[in-house]
Amino acid sequence: MDDKAEQLTDLLAVHLEAGFTELVRVHAGAVHAFLYRVSGSAAEADDLGQDTFLRAYTALREYAPARRRELRPRAWLMTIAANVWRNHVRTRTRRPVTAGLPVEESMDVWPDHSPGPDERAATAEDRSRLVTALSALPEHHRIPVVLHHVIGMSYTEVAEVQGCAVGTAKAQVSRGLAGLRRLLEPEPTVLKEVTM
Amino acid sequence: MSEGNGDAVTRRLPDLAAGAPEDFALRVLRRAGLSREHYDTYVRLDTAAGGLFVAASPQTVTGACLDSAGLTATGFEELHRARTGRSAIPGGRPLPGLLPALRTGRARRLAIDLSGLPEGQRAILEAVRTIPPGQLRPLSWIAREADAGSPPPVSDVLGALTANPVAVLIPCHRVTHDNGSPCDAAYLPKAGEALRRAEHIDMRRVAELSRAGAVFLGSDTTFIYCHPTCAHARRITPGHRVHFPTARDAREAGYRACKSCRPLTV
Repeated sequence: MDDKAEQLTDLLAVHLEAGFTELVRVHAGAVHAFLYRVSGSAAEADDLGQDTFLRAYTALREYAPARRRELRPRAWLMTIAANVWRNHVRTRTRRPVTAGLPVEESMDVWPDHSPGPDERAATAEDRSRLVTALSALPEHHRIPVVLHHVIGMSYTEVAEVQGCAVGTAKAQVSRGLAGLRRLLEPEPTVLKEVTM
Repeated sequence: MSEGNGDAVTRRLPDLAAGAPEDFALRVLRRAGLSREHYDTYVRLDTAAGGLFVAASPQTVTGACLDSAGLTATGFEELHRARTGRSAIPGGRPLPGLLPALRTGRARRLAIDLSGLPEGQRAILEAVRTIPPGQLRPLSWIAREADAGSPPPVSDVLGALTANPVAVLIPCHRVTHDNGSPCDAAYLPKAGEALRRAEHIDMRRVAELSRAGAVFLGSDTTFIYCHPTCAHARRITPGHRVHFPTARDAREAGYRACKSCRPLTV
């Protein structure tokens, strides 16, 4: 993995276009997943993801080869993506809101190893509860939780994206998780009896 | 209770890393205004032997690989990168002519870029490309077609077949050992079998002929001898079919070589 990242930055330094293509090939999925889980909407993730890479490309063209070689591509891209998202949220408050509730993707994009319809329904429900809880987290907790637990970035990388110390990143992630757990706690028994 | 729930949360969060829509990377590159020359696009097409990833530049096919050995899209992208030094981006339209070539098995005219290979291997693979669909050719034939002056040794031919960077479209499944048994150098045996069956090659008949010692078939009305799967050999009526174990035997019986399948001459 480290070896590959090194190859990528070398390529970026030597040949910008080829390097950028490779950057997109390797990291487009993670950037999209991050924005999808942070924004809760696939359409927004699509738009913002394209903005992210457009910004990245514009920036890379200004960078000297030595600076491109020293880049840590994933953390750098996620920093841009997080900024694009924050800007988007800021401008969105000035515009009429058109997006509805976050929509979970359809079942058929799932891997096929889920056994039966019952279990599938249960997993889907679990999943949609998790998604709803995630979108209910405050911004400054949601971003680190998604970065660390969904995308699988290290605390060092998360800290780099958030522009804070590693310890702060750890605290943010753990507070975010605590918030998630609180949101996911089973509903009061009274409600359960009613529904059953 | 809360602890167990928490573990479940951290365990389930990575599942939310849903993949981007398949053409997302391609749209990103288009939006950034990158020239198409800098990357290849690839599609996954169905063949008799399972899915086939085919990567192409705007002009030529640059690589193809069957997914029958459990190759994933990411695996193919990395393999393509290692082989050609180019990034393969999913999506886009298949190269014009690719779908008909795959459907009919006639891929000889399809533009395929083999410039990354050493010259010897390229000549061998170009020779393999000239085998018509539904027919088989032995290794010695490939060697001679690749370089009539000084045919490469069989080991080189096998090496080139194993290195074939464009599976199926360069039809290695139509190559046999000199005794007539299939030589699936780069394919799993099952994949080669499926591809031959799809082209209606009757392997049972081929095996019977090879057991009977018939490397070549001749017709006693025309005095021409062919490879057994040549279209001209297949229409010789049983009463007029003559078996030859070697080209020399055919020659001595006064037969000449077929000009379509160009069998060995002595």
